[in-house]
Amino acid sequence: MALLRVIPRKATPSVFMQQVARLHNIERDKIGNREVVGWGINGMYSYVDHIAFPMPAIRFKENSPEIMALKEREKGDWKKLSVEDKKALYRASFCQTYSEMRAPDGRWKSITGWVLFGISCSFWIYIWEKLFVYPPMPDTITNIEKRQAQLKRMIDIRVDPIDGLSSKWDYENNRWKK
Amino acid sequence: MSTLAALNFQNAASPLMEQLIFFHDHSMTILILIITIVSYNIISTYTNTNIDQHMLESQPLELFWTIVPSFILVFIGLPSIRLLYLLDEVYQPSITIKTIGHQWYWSYEYSDFLNLEFDSYMIPSNESTNSNFRLLDVDNRTVIPFNTQVRTLISAADVLHSWTVPALGVKADAVPGRLNQV
Repeated sequence: MALLRVIPRKATPSVFMQQVARLHNIERDKIGNREVVGWGINGMYSYVDHIAFPMPAIRFKENSPEIMALKEREKGDWKKLSVEDKKALYRASFCQTYSEMRAPDGRWKSITGWVLFGISCSFWIYIWEKLFVYPPMPDTITNIEKRQAQLKRMIDIRVDPIDGLSSKWDYENNRWKK
Repeated sequence: MSTLAALNFQNAASPLMEQLIFFHDHSMTILILIITIVSYNIISTYTNTNIDQHMLESQPLELFWTIVPSFILVFIGLPSIRLLYLLDEVYQPSITIKTIGHQWYWSYEYSDFLNLEFDSYMIPSNESTNSNFRLLDVDNRTVIPFNTQVRTLISAADVLHSWTVPALGVKADAVPGRLNQV
């Protein structure tokens, strides 16, 4: 920002407005023949379609002779304007209508697709790990006799007797509780 | 001991562990309440199609959502402090067990009435029988009397170890040159 003064001085409103005016002079070259009609989003001369900011700072299209003629007719009775005229006047100032801004764009389909692709990639990586990376499970888990012996021992030593394993065993009748 | 794929605490074998479980349940209730409220706020903000570009601040709202969490924290903090001091209460223990950590076994000394000392090695998987719990069973088990106050003095001979019984809710570091009492 070479145009801002290097020597700091108090940021009074006039100083701020001078800096804004300098920026605006730069921006006027960038927007061409388009008319400035308001403050817009932040005071800069930009056109943005946004549902929260209904009135952008500049018109959308440059002023052409047809549009200037339409604007002259706009100053008169609006009932004399056809629907096509009104649409042309709207499109001269704006790019999209609110319906077009809010219209569904189908991005959710591609987003869902990529998410599912990522999930399936991680699933395949897990399968690869099970096949090639992990050692086999210890036989205390794979051998069913060992598992049963351990379970019997866990019941005998009263593991979790309050609301866990042993609480579900019927000790009087030597079977699981019904 | 832990059952397979257990996510929760083991059932308490001492009153302190029972109090810890109760405190955990109490805190989890409050946490679930907070998460429900916050996720409702997030979802309703996300799905709300109204726009107000001038909604910038609201001092009463900020005051409200600063003071209410402090009350919630008091609700969590008071039982926490109570439990913290309860855990350090000293009673009259009936028996003292000394636990020394070595690389890589524990040795226990019961010195009150008889001079009993033994080492407790883990049973390797290749020597274990069918009903041995893998990596958990030891050859000489530590026996602690039931329904009594027990003092355990925990230390180590070489490096730092840590001695814990999850069902009793005790865990203490075994530091060489230091006695920790549980």
